[in-house]
Amino acid sequence: MTITIFLIIFGFIVVMESAIPFLLRRTIAFGVTIPEGYTDNMVVASYRKMYSAIISSIGLISLFGFAFWANSNTVTEEQIVLIGLAIQFGILFLTMALYLYFHAKTTQLKRAHNWGADLKQIRIVDLAIRTKDEMLPSSIYALPMAITIGLIAYTASQYGNMPDMIPTHWGPNGQPDAFSPKTPFSVIALLLIQLIMQGMLLGFNALIKRSGIKLNAAKSKSSQVQQLSFRKYSSWFLFMTTVLSTILMSFLHLSTIHEGIGNTALMLIMPLGFLLLILIGTAVYAFKVGQSGSRIAVAFEDEATPGITDVDDDQYWKFGAIYVNKNDPSIFVEKRFGIGWTINFGQPLGYIILFVPLVLILVISFLL
Amino acid sequence: MFIQIEPSSDIPIYTQLANQLIELIARGELSGGDALPSVRSLAADLGMNMHTVNKAYHTLEKKGIIAIVPKSGAIINPPVQAGIQDSHRARIVEELKPILAEAIVLGMGKEDLVTLASSIFADIKGE
Repeated sequence: MTITIFLIIFGFIVVMESAIPFLLRRTIAFGVTIPEGYTDNMVVASYRKMYSAIISSIGLISLFGFAFWANSNTVTEEQIVLIGLAIQFGILFLTMALYLYFHAKTTQLKRAHNWGADLKQIRIVDLAIRTKDEMLPSSIYALPMAITIGLIAYTASQYGNMPDMIPTHWGPNGQPDAFSPKTPFSVIALLLIQLIMQGMLLGFNALIKRSGIKLNAAKSKSSQVQQLSFRKYSSWFLFMTTVLSTILMSFLHLSTIHEGIGNTALMLIMPLGFLLLILIGTAVYAFKVGQSGSRIAVAFEDEATPGITDVDDDQYWKFGAIYVNKNDPSIFVEKRFGIGWTINFGQPLGYIILFVPLVLILVISFLL
Repeated sequence: MFIQIEPSSDIPIYTQLANQLIELIARGELSGGDALPSVRSLAADLGMNMHTVNKAYHTLEKKGIIAIVPKSGAIINPPVQAGIQDSHRARIVEELKPILAEAIVLGMGKEDLVTLASSIFADIKGE
């Protein structure tokens, strides 16, 4: 079981990481703004292909090597977990190193040929775009929170019936493998963590909603459609995550109170189903929508307006990946290399929304 | 209803923003009673400082084109029926004079200027 889960996640990471250069805005390559007219440049295209080829080949070789090794009789489960994690970190490290290499190469190429020197840099804004934004209202993210609070109240009423040892961790087979003695705190610790995560996702949605809608200057009409789709699907994906994790955590918690409801098969299927649904959701988000909605087909022709290009804000992107811009009031911005959103480190609220929930969760786990 | 800002231009960004909003109103794409986006959301979409947008809105307020209402935001004033106020006329004369003087110095004649003014008028009114 452990091996299968590992191989699924591992394979998924390899596919995602090698596909990333092809899931991005056409005007950004390896964290570098590419001016209009150079977006189909052969050299940049070859960088994309090289990145993808290196990650996928090394990734697949280590995937098969790992599968072969893990299936031999002499290895223990701990060794599998340890080596599996080590290889996955190795792959992530490789992607970072390759990214930085191609980031430097692309920057050099752009500078050496003075790309975009003859183009006017324009920022385009649609005044009416907010009325077309279809992101989910943040209030519906409060529904799962209400469920959690209800469960906390229910737990309090069932305190006497609960076992003396409260599960705090579950193994890959869905069975608890770590316990804490029963206290009024430990019986609701899991629910508190769940509540914090739900609050964090609510905050993400609210802040993404407030973030800037950055249209592509030369193709403002089609990028408007893509941006709006990307935002809509981002908020659906967040909502799916919060609903699924609420179902899983509530189920695990209820199976602690009422030992009968969690039969072995259900305990196995719930976490596995959760994992599969999250992976499928991520794949749809990445491949059907694409970063900034770049893979959404637009129904009309949108010829690039000649002579203009996007404003080059590379100066605010450290290594093309970390956004630090005090002027931009957006807390969340779209990632440049990767799928999803990143934080504007020029805004203190960005740090707070990211680190406060993490610290709280760590404190709760530490107190258990 | 697109707005185009050129950050590297010599014209300050808040002026570009104010000018484009005025033009949208003149063209009838925005009309009296319409609300402008909030300062925060427009600044976020522009990726620029909120002060810049705030300054543009205050410029428009001073010119009597919008009203900044607490809680409702920036609302475009209803179209002027009774003709231009004296104070606004005086300001426009003051702003127009150096431009006309420059045009004269650079060789534009009276007829040239009148034709230009009416062609700009026709363009804005979509005639």
